[in-house]
Amino acid sequence: MRPPLSVGAVGQPRWLHPGAWWVWALGLATAASRTLNPLLLLVIIGVAAVVVSARRPDAPWARSFAFFVRLGILIIVLRVLVQLVLGAAIGTTTLISLPGIGLPDWMAGVRLGGPVTLESLLMALYDGLRLATIIICIGAANSLASPSRLLKSVPAALYEIGVSVVVALTFAPQLVADVTRVQAARHLRGRATRGPRAIAGAAMPVLEGALERSVTLAAAMDSRGYGRRSDTSARRRRAIAAVLLAGLVAACIGTYGLVAAGSTAALSGLMLLAGMSLSIGAIVWSARTAIRTRYRPDPWWLPEWLVAGSGIAVAVCCIATSWWFPAGMETPFDPPTWPSLPLLATLGLAIALTPAITAPPIPVPFVSAAMRAPDAVEVPA
Amino acid sequence: MSRHAVRLGGRSIAAIVSTTAIGIVAFGWPLLASPESTAVAHADDAPWLFVVVIPLLLAVVLAQFTDGGMDAKAVALLGVLAAVVAAMRPLGGGTAGLEPIWVILVLGGRALGPGFGFSLGAVALFSSALLTGGVGPWLPFQMLGAAWVGLGAGLLPRATGRAEIVLLAAYGAVAAFAYGLLMNLWFWPFTEGLPAAIAFSPGAPLSENLVAWLHFTIVTSLGYDIPRAVLTVVLIALAGPTILSALRRASRRANFGAVPVFVTEAQ
Amino acid sequence: MIRFDDVSITYDGRTTPVLEHVDLHLREGELVLVVGRTGSGKSSLLQAINGLVPHFTGGTLSGRVLVDGRDTRTHPPRELADVVGVVPQDPASSFVADTVEEELAFGMECLGLPNDVMRRRVEETLDLLGLHELRSRPLLTLSAGQQQRVAIGAVLAAHPRVLVLDEPTSALDPSAAEEILAALQRLVHDLGITVVMAEHRLERVVQYADRIIIVPGDAQPVAIGTPQEMMRLAPIAPPVVELARAAGWHPLPLTVRDARRAAGPLRELLVGQPPPLRAVAPDGAGETLVQATDLSVRYGTRWALRGVSLSVGRGEVVALMGRNGAGKSTLLNAMVGLRTAASGSVMTHDHDPASLKGSELLQSVGLVPQQPGDLLEATSVADECRAADRDASVTPGTTRALLALLAPEILDGVHPRDLSEGQRLLLALAVVLAPRPPLLLLDEPTRGLDYPTKLRLVDALRDLARGGHGILLATHDVELAAEVATRVIVLADGEVVADGPTADVVVASPMFAPQVAKVLAPFPWLTVSDVITTIGPLILRTHAPISGDAVG
Repeated sequence: MRPPLSVGAVGQPRWLHPGAWWVWALGLATAASRTLNPLLLLVIIGVAAVVVSARRPDAPWARSFAFFVRLGILIIVLRVLVQLVLGAAIGTTTLISLPGIGLPDWMAGVRLGGPVTLESLLMALYDGLRLATIIICIGAANSLASPSRLLKSVPAALYEIGVSVVVALTFAPQLVADVTRVQAARHLRGRATRGPRAIAGAAMPVLEGALERSVTLAAAMDSRGYGRRSDTSARRRRAIAAVLLAGLVAACIGTYGLVAAGSTAALSGLMLLAGMSLSIGAIVWSARTAIRTRYRPDPWWLPEWLVAGSGIAVAVCCIATSWWFPAGMETPFDPPTWPSLPLLATLGLAIALTPAITAPPIPVPFVSAAMRAPDAVEVPA
Repeated sequence: MSRHAVRLGGRSIAAIVSTTAIGIVAFGWPLLASPESTAVAHADDAPWLFVVVIPLLLAVVLAQFTDGGMDAKAVALLGVLAAVVAAMRPLGGGTAGLEPIWVILVLGGRALGPGFGFSLGAVALFSSALLTGGVGPWLPFQMLGAAWVGLGAGLLPRATGRAEIVLLAAYGAVAAFAYGLLMNLWFWPFTEGLPAAIAFSPGAPLSENLVAWLHFTIVTSLGYDIPRAVLTVVLIALAGPTILSALRRASRRANFGAVPVFVTEAQ
Repeated sequence: MIRFDDVSITYDGRTTPVLEHVDLHLREGELVLVVGRTGSGKSSLLQAINGLVPHFTGGTLSGRVLVDGRDTRTHPPRELADVVGVVPQDPASSFVADTVEEELAFGMECLGLPNDVMRRRVEETLDLLGLHELRSRPLLTLSAGQQQRVAIGAVLAAHPRVLVLDEPTSALDPSAAEEILAALQRLVHDLGITVVMAEHRLERVVQYADRIIIVPGDAQPVAIGTPQEMMRLAPIAPPVVELARAAGWHPLPLTVRDARRAAGPLRELLVGQPPPLRAVAPDGAGETLVQATDLSVRYGTRWALRGVSLSVGRGEVVALMGRNGAGKSTLLNAMVGLRTAASGSVMTHDHDPASLKGSELLQSVGLVPQQPGDLLEATSVADECRAADRDASVTPGTTRALLALLAPEILDGVHPRDLSEGQRLLLALAVVLAPRPPLLLLDEPTRGLDYPTKLRLVDALRDLARGGHGILLATHDVELAAEVATRVIVLADGEVVADGPTADVVVASPMFAPQVAKVLAPFPWLTVSDVITTIGPLILRTHAPISGDAVG
């Protein structure tokens, strides 16, 4: 075993722990959520894009980054359009004046059209950009962190559910192949192979096959020792149940405290925190009766620390900036001013760029385990 | 009736009930929260809090299910049906909410019991998000919403034959539609800054926010919610009986909770 | 190692036991073959070894099963996972993980082995089964033989003392089957593992067995004995044994080598005899039903067929042989219009099959796919037959009547998914035959079939050929080809490498020759019945050598 801070062979291709990517991306997203400074937001998007392009594997799930970027653009466009058509004007710099339409009374307060001001457009743009940036950061995590490796890192208490998700991920592409095969069989019976009717006709044999498979799979899992546990005493079980129950009740009280009048934030928050910790503790405790181990768990070495740390650093820098120098994080739009780059936040973003170098390169040639269809599928029908 | 695929013990029921209670707040706080409450005071952060809390709660529920109530058969069936849902999800291609997946969630919950329905909803949406790289803050809410749909289907009253299909179709319509409304609700707080008529205004009275939310729904998602509900009804009416009998056959074949009998003396 | 003490098994909802009063004692390091029809209780016997029966399936078990000293009454399957490894019939549907390495580790993870042990055993298993190069491959991309090896490796990694396999070679081509059997042989000899294996294809496995268990079904007593003892009396036997029984050779040879040594006098009898005539269409060559001319088909960049030219005429039964992936299925698919030609053409009855639709297509060519269940969509046999009549626009009742001829025991109300694999094939065959297509194509029809069902299929195919149908069947089953084929076409790498009368093609081929041909080579007799029709049973017996050592 290597020490926890082992660097691993430098530059040796391997998979970075998916958790590290998520910490990094969530740190970036947190930073984005703290600011309405368009320049800063654009830099955050830039950082995400650079790291993704440097460390993204060639797998179907990894192609989702582009989708998230498109989603982000859509959010901005929608936000601005809504402002244009429905928004109340702020400020005085009128750009154009759209014809206004009054809506019936039951839509009281909604007014279509009217004067469009630069100020209100900027406000909508910045607001949309912030949400889009958060979405894009999450998209970065989606395309950098391998889902099947993420599943390997689920805590022991969720192992069973993790297994069913692995089964689902492996089996879903196979189902698509099954549908093709069954549609071929429909052709053999002289039936339609396209259109909704054909899909419906093909669905049943595929579903039946899938259900049959689940029984075979279960028998195989049972025979291979799945679900082995050591014995638990009744006393211990009762204790676990008590802790779980207490935790859940506390979490409920805490949650309702947050939305009820007259309770303090600190008390409710604490209650919720304590409740969640107790219930999770109970689950973890009860999972310890399982005797499973894990094969080649993803290590958490120096690169993981560096990547995750850079995410935390950027979040901390931005939160600190918004705390001490709030002016730099907001860009006034009434009257419009040019945005500036606050020093501390920019430093944080520079740190967030480092994973493009510190994360180990992707093993090549990489074949996606989860989604790759057999090469040259020979449809046997 | 076959035995349920996931046995619900006292602990599991407690976990479901409290998750549901907290989930109601997580979705409904913009409408329910008192103007003086902490949630309203921190309206910007409240949705993010629930983005963290809900997955943890779902984890607690599912871990609780697997701790004793769920054998290899249930886990395998769960994985396989989740794969079916995940493979079906792109079929609609997101066009006008034509997602055929609700059929499987509703019928799965009905045929295999509430515990299984709950797990299926959560696991299926999670798997399909992993498969398509669609993990995001919306995911916990989708998982919980779908889990409720499956749970509810498992809790429907007894009925057979045509009556059962009518019942399921009606439930499917309501569930698919309600799911859309719930999904609006979770990100509605982010609409602060939209025109007042459709935006969430923290601290405003329930009546005002409710109207605004309904308007928001009409403006944004009704065009998705109605086709989704209609599609679900049509599919359940057409394919419901066949799928249901296939699921029940599978459940019989799996023989959940099989009791082995040993006789020491030869007969 | 494994002990059955007066074991009877009754499933829930059944009144009669599937197995009754079974007493067995299997020793360490034995390779035991379990033989029996589908539905005879063979699978129940296998599953009782690791407690799947009755813990997983439900039901009542009386008596006692002990494995390595552990009683299955108190040990459910998961508690026996470190002693018994079970390889199910269809390995692909039993995989839990998505890559080879993870799949090998899954069982060990469940058993809670420490990481360094797992790491070492995964490497050992990869080496033992020659899976090294596949270690990070997704399981779905493996060939059937590779998947079977992974499935075996996945249970072996847990170091069980007993390995239970359900038809490990049924989906494999001959060479992949050889590989699996060689690997098993090594496990028995080098590691002393006890192997219990069910298999229908006796000709492949019988020579490896130390003992054979015969499960006759219908609650008849289960018998166990050495292969020589059991094969002397068994109702089903590989061709080499049947030949030996007909010739009265003693001791009974189980391998081609032993039989060849005993067959010297028999071969002498064949000198100068005219080789048996295969039943061919009236004038030797009937009307051509399908004609492929310089046909090429490709998937993306891979060419599945390259310039294939062949034809099938009325009354012919043509066996299409070759490795997995040689292009057999593609060729069949092209003949029904499921694949379009990249160049060249395929014509059925002067039509391009791709241009035919609906019942027109059905009336010119029918294909029974590898998984016949794919064809079946209805919820009962009767509905399926009615739907087939509609599809084919034939008089209602046609399909049902055909099915009654092929498989009289199938009842109307049964769900097609509840039929056995063989029955499902016969139902699919009835569905395909209803529109009376002159050309019938079958893809791997004998996969998973037991011996009686195979005989029924052989009879049906012969009748069809006599009735003027042309039949093209893709198969790995050399004995089937020897039994029914009038002509054999061998595909390799998408090209036709041999095309000629069965005897001409298979006799000299080490891969495709049936056992009888190997015993009698260079004489072109392919089956036991051919030999008997040529010289008659009595002559055979008088010329039998006294001992197996006698070499002619």
